[in-house]
Amino acid sequence: MTNQDEHKEGIGGMINPRRYGIERVAYLLMRLSGLGLLAYFIAHIYETSSILKGQVGWNEFLELTQTNAGHAILAIVIGMCVFHTVNGIRVMLGQGGVGVGKPARPDYPYPPASQNIRHKMGIYSAITLAAIAMMYGLAIMFGE
Amino acid sequence: MRESIIMKIHYGTALAAVALVAVHILMRLTQGFAESLEYDSVIANYKFLPYAGMLEIILILLSIHGFNGLRVILLELKQGKTYEKAVSYGCIAAMITLIVYGSRTIIMVNTGMT
Repeated sequence: MTNQDEHKEGIGGMINPRRYGIERVAYLLMRLSGLGLLAYFIAHIYETSSILKGQVGWNEFLELTQTNAGHAILAIVIGMCVFHTVNGIRVMLGQGGVGVGKPARPDYPYPPASQNIRHKMGIYSAITLAAIAMMYGLAIMFGE
Repeated sequence: MRESIIMKIHYGTALAAVALVAVHILMRLTQGFAESLEYDSVIANYKFLPYAGMLEIILILLSIHGFNGLRVILLELKQGKTYEKAVSYGCIAAMITLIVYGSRTIIMVNTGMT
């Protein structure tokens, strides 16, 4: 009897975006953006607590973040935030049964009804909007 | 708590956070990004009670959503009774710690304890 565990791929299987199409890429990006945003949120809470050290402490910390590297990181955060939001709304709608297609007779090659053009457009829209938001954020941060 | 209820909380906190974070970002843009980050401007924001209250709500919503998301990712990777309990309680502990730490900043600045 074979051990089922040897067929598990673990993190390698979880982060492999090459199979199952754009839905798998969206799954991976959703998790990566979620982890990135959580890391940023924790850092942001720590960063803003420097205001308790008074004006000198606040300005010192602001100097660390108001750099080209700081702006670039913030632009990535903006992109992650927009993608996570738009794709999250798509996932919520899908789990609520919106846009997943109607039940039909299963014919070869059995295409999943839920992986349809509406949801694919949702994923591509999320990526496009994230890119636009990043560019807008960069224009605001570097435009001053 | 049932996972279906946890996911409803996850989605509810997400939708509420999107609306409130949009207000938080718009506050930065209406003043001008650099000016809005000046010490006096930030202090004035914290001392304005409705805004401080909104920051507190955002803190709670995002902490719940963020750490539940982390819990979901960690539970996808590995399962087991002990592991699942450790992940769930660890995430709750981290969530409470972050809320307490963030609330401390909001309350201290709002009440002028800087």
